[in-house]
Amino acid sequence: MHGSGAEISREVFWNILGPGFPTEQVLLYVLVVIAFLLFFHGLARSGFFTRMKAITSAKGSDVERVNNPWDRFWYMVTDVFGHRKILREPYQGVFHLFIFWGFVALAITTAIVFLQADIIWPIWHVWFMEGNFYLGLSLFADVFGLVAIVGILMAMARRYFMKPKWLDEKGEDKVILWFILAILVTGFVVEALRIQATETDPASPMNPYIWFSPVGRTIAFLFSGMSMDALRDTHVVLWWTHVLGALGFIVFIAYSKLLHIIMTPVNIFLRPDTPQPPIRVMPPEMFENAETFGIHNLEEYSWKDLFDTEACMRCGRCVEVCPAFNTDKPLLPRDVIQNLRTYMENKAKFALDADGNYRIIPDEEYTGPALIGDGIEKDTIWACTTCMACVEACPAYILQFPKLIDLRRYLVMMESDFPAEVMDVFKGMENNSNPWSIGAHSRADWAKGLDVPLLSEKGEAEYLFYVGCAGAFDDLNKKVAVSLVKIFKAAGLDFAILGTEEGCCGDSAKKIGNEYVYQALAMANIETFKAYNVSKIITMCPHGYTVLKHDYKELGGSFQVFHYTEILDKLIKQGKITLKQPIENLGTITYHDSCYLGRYNKIYDQPRDILKALKSGSLVEMKSHHAKSFCCGAGGGRMWMEEDLGTRINQKRTQEAEASGAKTICTACPFCYTMISDGIKELDLSEKLQAFDIAQLVAKAAGLDQKTNKAGGEGEQEAAN
Amino acid sequence: MNTVVCIKQVPDTETLIKVQGAGIVTEGIKWVMNPYDEFAVEEALQQKEKMKAGAVTIVSLGPDRAIEAIRTGLAMGADTAVHINDAAFYEKADPYATAAVLAAAVKGLQYDAIFLGKQAIDDDSAQVPAMLAEMLGIPVVTMVVKFEVAPDKSKATVTREIEGGQAVVEVPLPAVFSAQKGLNEPRYASLPGIMKAKKKPVDVKTAADLGVSVDPKTVVKEMTLPPARQAGKIITGDDAAAKAKELARVLHEEVKIV
Ligand code: SF4
Ligand code: SF4
Repeated sequence: MHGSGAEISREVFWNILGPGFPTEQVLLYVLVVIAFLLFFHGLARSGFFTRMKAITSAKGSDVERVNNPWDRFWYMVTDVFGHRKILREPYQGVFHLFIFWGFVALAITTAIVFLQADIIWPIWHVWFMEGNFYLGLSLFADVFGLVAIVGILMAMARRYFMKPKWLDEKGEDKVILWFILAILVTGFVVEALRIQATETDPASPMNPYIWFSPVGRTIAFLFSGMSMDALRDTHVVLWWTHVLGALGFIVFIAYSKLLHIIMTPVNIFLRPDTPQPPIRVMPPEMFENAETFGIHNLEEYSWKDLFDTEACMRCGRCVEVCPAFNTDKPLLPRDVIQNLRTYMENKAKFALDADGNYRIIPDEEYTGPALIGDGIEKDTIWACTTCMACVEACPAYILQFPKLIDLRRYLVMMESDFPAEVMDVFKGMENNSNPWSIGAHSRADWAKGLDVPLLSEKGEAEYLFYVGCAGAFDDLNKKVAVSLVKIFKAAGLDFAILGTEEGCCGDSAKKIGNEYVYQALAMANIETFKAYNVSKIITMCPHGYTVLKHDYKELGGSFQVFHYTEILDKLIKQGKITLKQPIENLGTITYHDSCYLGRYNKIYDQPRDILKALKSGSLVEMKSHHAKSFCCGAGGGRMWMEEDLGTRINQKRTQEAEASGAKTICTACPFCYTMISDGIKELDLSEKLQAFDIAQLVAKAAGLDQKTNKAGGEGEQEAAN
Repeated sequence: MNTVVCIKQVPDTETLIKVQGAGIVTEGIKWVMNPYDEFAVEEALQQKEKMKAGAVTIVSLGPDRAIEAIRTGLAMGADTAVHINDAAFYEKADPYATAAVLAAAVKGLQYDAIFLGKQAIDDDSAQVPAMLAEMLGIPVVTMVVKFEVAPDKSKATVTREIEGGQAVVEVPLPAVFSAQKGLNEPRYASLPGIMKAKKKPVDVKTAADLGVSVDPKTVVKEMTLPPARQAGKIITGDDAAAKAKELARVLHEEVKIV
């Protein structure tokens, strides 16, 4: 500052302050205060407080949101600064990281300058911004400012040249990048003008250190021919432009998606701390006394569901990965969240009384647009496969698809309004405990002649092998069940099946929205499991795995549940199964991650380890794999629904397998196995591609499949068709 | 419009049937509402909704377990029910006896139309609708696929399925109608419907209450299951020509039809 006397430093407010009373400095403070006032005014004008009234009037969340606050805080800090989720997508991740860290660094620098010039110097007359510290700070700010500009340019390249189809294009999206770029560039030009005016003179004590502002110094060359007066005049004008731009930016946050700078970290703090994306719990008692089920009314969502809509910055990552969107169905998870937000805002306006208090409007009184149909369309609600890709991708930890399940529940249980094909599925589950509507008495027919131990005869066993409906009733998947029991027996595993005492796991019913039927099915199974003192369960299907392991707990059923790939992997590693015969004709193998095994349960390695242990072909990954794997199209009860909108998800996935160059595609889920096998047939790719479940290959390699040791041998293929 | 729907509880089509003498083993069977009766219930409900007036009454003859089928009808939206539950009928209710007891139960009720499924999928006799109409002395229209009623409820215009086509008939009300597939899409009972059904009144009656005696005209002497279907055979061959040749050989030598 004036008269600090420090040589290796710079004068804060150089060229800005007039003589005498620091009018300009006071003006700056006033402008800062005005900017913040305008920011709050902007929040009010953009409906923020109206929406907050709706959010704070909503119901409680049934999942913990603020437990372990320190852990949550730490997670939030590391996520915000480390970009844990954002970096999932390398290009977008990196440019956001650049912009973010650029701004953090510039904010830190500004704070230090403020501290020095406006607090420490006026009060104590101490000038610490000098010498090496000053030079370091100068370099730091310059480099990070440049990093931010690179980030902005990368973002512009994406928006204007790459143009991904899932990127939203609102008016503000066109402005924001240019706005930020202008602030950064004017900042550098202001610096360059100052450098040109004060540091280029060899007599200046700063001259030897001029390159500690590398960007500013380089730009200064542009101004080397300007007179001192011209430099000073331009500097004043640009300085104020830069300041007004920066303050305008603060105001703009209130009006735009930039609000995510505040709301997204809050949502990260509030994230669900559960192993699964939580689907609203419906306690069994509810079916005795509740009047309405599911959600058709905004107020039935919890405050956290509504708060999610504030945290969404429309980044579109959820859209990018959504199988429904990628096959031209009318479902964009981002739009579900955004439409909910618009709907909430409109309804909140309607619900405010003269005093501005929020009032929950009784159903009979409400005449505005309906949540289902107007707010969110039915085709959108039914298009979801519950693949969880959106939840996994969302950097704001928003739960998109669980909100759709609430709407399905209303449609199914209150209105009996669901795709017509589903009627038979519900009836099948109710009458025969399987979605195929095949007589319940034939549930164990697949095991005939295989001498599979029945729990009712054996009395007890270490493991219950819960086969599930697909393994029991679907011809294609019965072969997988057969392979599994052969392996279990060969490995000497102490196991048994329930035979006709087994029932449908209920996952499809649950995800279609029929919680009532799901709970009836689940409770029947839990009762049977308990009657036999079952503690460890092996499932063949990842869907059964998920509900048995996680959801049955809500109904009082706590079991140790394993997916068969976990067991086979262990048996192979322990040497209890020897894969002695390499399988011919597999060619290159690719593994298709099941959503319910991968994203839902983080089982990625075991299936791959098993495939490697086969020593029968090299492993390649498809374009999307592991947590980013693309759904087969069968989850969320979509297995049972017609797919008459857009193109077919299973075909898209099969094409990805083909493009990977693999000859064999392996699955570890009966739904995936069916969908991919169908995809191969529908696309007429049988010459190039073959599908197997991992269990079948293990049985073959272990020499347990007497027929042939050639994958795709005659007998095998015929039976598959 | 007031309607009566007569329903029957039958084994689920997929359930395992074991024959024992002249009947079946009822243990382990999953019972459901006769699928054709679902069309009947649905039509009665749709007519009531269309006219915005009237009541739908379910009438069913069957043992204790039949209450489940009755509750299904109530859950779909029917208003009240009569459950004729009398051990005397358990073994001997042939179509005639069934029609007679249904007629006795229906006589005391208010109705403009009576709906039934065209037949029960267990014994497939398809006689009750006609007999019931005869006993009540009112007309009957069978195999109904479309039903429309005049605003004054004096008559109905009904489309019925006939061999290779359809016929439209007009009939004065009250009358009996038997529902064929295609009449409508039966609804899935909503959860509130299921809850409410538990509290709806069901009038339980015995043969004595109705003043009828069991008087079957036919007696089942024996039941047999159809022979088990033989496994299919997959024709293999290197190409289409070889497969065709093999098919011809099988048809000729093994099946001996060519
Ligand atoms: S769960 Fe999958 S299908 Fe459903 S909205 Fe999310 S990404 Fe799309
Ligand atoms: S829901 Fe999440 S992933 Fe989707 S647009 Fe919003 S913030 Fe992005």
